[in-house]
Amino acid sequence: MTTTAPAPAPPALLHGVGDRALAWLDANRDHFRLTEADRARGDALMERLKPIGELAINMRMLSREGVAGGRQRERATSLLDFAWRELLDGGNVLAKLQQDEPFSPVPLEIYAVFHELGHRHPGLEAALRAPRATRAWQALEMVPNRRLGVLNAERRMGLEPSGDFAETLATTVLGRQPEPWAVQLHIAYDITHTVFHLTNWGEQPEGIPEELARYLELYLPAWAADWAELEHWDLLGELFIVDACLPRAALDGALWERYAAAQSPTGAMPVCGPMPEGDPSDVFDLVHHPTLVSAFASAMATSRALSGGGA
Amino acid sequence: MTEQAQGAAALNAVIADAASGIALALRGEGDPYALTRTLPQEDALSPAAVRVLGADALAPYALDGGRGADGAGSADAAMVRQALTAFPPGDDPAAVSTWSYRGLVEATRALLPAHAAQLPPAPDPADDWLDTEPWPRLSHRVSQLASLALPGLAGALTDRLSGRTEDLARGFVRAVRRRDWQQAAGLGRWLARLPQTPPSLGLDSGLRFVQQMSGDPRAAVHLTAARTFFGRGR
Repeated sequence: MTTTAPAPAPPALLHGVGDRALAWLDANRDHFRLTEADRARGDALMERLKPIGELAINMRMLSREGVAGGRQRERATSLLDFAWRELLDGGNVLAKLQQDEPFSPVPLEIYAVFHELGHRHPGLEAALRAPRATRAWQALEMVPNRRLGVLNAERRMGLEPSGDFAETLATTVLGRQPEPWAVQLHIAYDITHTVFHLTNWGEQPEGIPEELARYLELYLPAWAADWAELEHWDLLGELFIVDACLPRAALDGALWERYAAAQSPTGAMPVCGPMPEGDPSDVFDLVHHPTLVSAFASAMATSRALSGGGA
Repeated sequence: MTEQAQGAAALNAVIADAASGIALALRGEGDPYALTRTLPQEDALSPAAVRVLGADALAPYALDGGRGADGAGSADAAMVRQALTAFPPGDDPAAVSTWSYRGLVEATRALLPAHAAQLPPAPDPADDWLDTEPWPRLSHRVSQLASLALPGLAGALTDRLSGRTEDLARGFVRAVRRRDWQQAAGLGRWLARLPQTPPSLGLDSGLRFVQQMSGDPRAAVHLTAARTFFGRGR
């Protein structure tokens, strides 16, 4: 490593982004609710469940010991309870979806988060057994990083994974170490998601094989600088999460300052460029993902900064 | 267009023409090289163009077996001397212009030794920034010194840069992403010369990619130099 590493961001800056994001998520929690129309249509339901799954994954990360501060953890835990009890009706929504589409991995992927938190829906677990024992389940076609996500979900639930983790990793774009200058938007997302599954959403940074960690340490600064310049806050936030998982996290102060400055005073983070305006529920649809990511990135980076993890 | 802008456009056109001629010569195509054939001696813009091109004005002389045209050395050296006299280095010892001035003097001494007698002394450019600049600024400046990446030239600079290889690799990645082909080509040329360029960078396919995407003649000089002198990007 050179002596010219960027100055790391101060913990207060890192922490503030997440604090504001959580306040916004809390204040906007009702926008995550499924409508009767959502529930009636299977395909739409699948789409509408995505934000809930993202909420759950991000909040579980924040509810972990030692990652977020006390108030943040309280908020995250309360949002998780809200998601399980009210948004998913104690898991019934997932069980119904599983009934309708027995070979969809979506209910499993979302349920795994709540299972880890101690929530149980025995009916759903029982209904997953037969489909999971088929060749069809193992053969479901999906992009390799999504497959890693399914394997990770199975692992988290203590189930026998339906495929080989290392073999699947080797087929992801990150596993093949693409030329770093070729990493355009969707490739970058494939890379960040692969890291999320390898580390169980930041919980086990050591899950990134050493060679890939080295690759990421080498090139992630170039990607982060580029996407910051393009003001793509959603991807930049995901790259910050990956950075915080690396053995020598950069926690680049100048980039974090730009990121924090992009956040709206209410705590929402735009996907790209300035905050969108308009009907609150439309705005919610546009910004809930980058805002969840910012809460996650902030907690990961703060935790790294406080444990002296910066480069 | 203002008078100044017209002047700049005219100079850029002359530089682009010369760069095309240099790239051609580096590929071993066309007539044997002479700077004075590539840039008309009577053109008032020629000295400025030589000064901007720096050591690359003489790059084809560095080819194995020399591709210089018979008897061209004396006139070429005279043209270089004229450029060095007309455009001395500025006051900033760290400036790109000071480095490229030095590069042009060094290149003339190395490549046209029989005609290097009356050259002005080479300035000693400031080099502390090579250790202190963060990678984005370092990369930008180093890419502007790409003409110094010639065999037998700027050995000390090359040694210093090899300590920043990974930072320059990051700069290459960012330059390609930003579609800044000239910066990408300049950095790629240095990375082709440096011994420790990480294989994960994919430099060879990167250089080919930049070649395909960029139509810029000066980028073409860098890419051809990387291929011809350092065997990368073939």
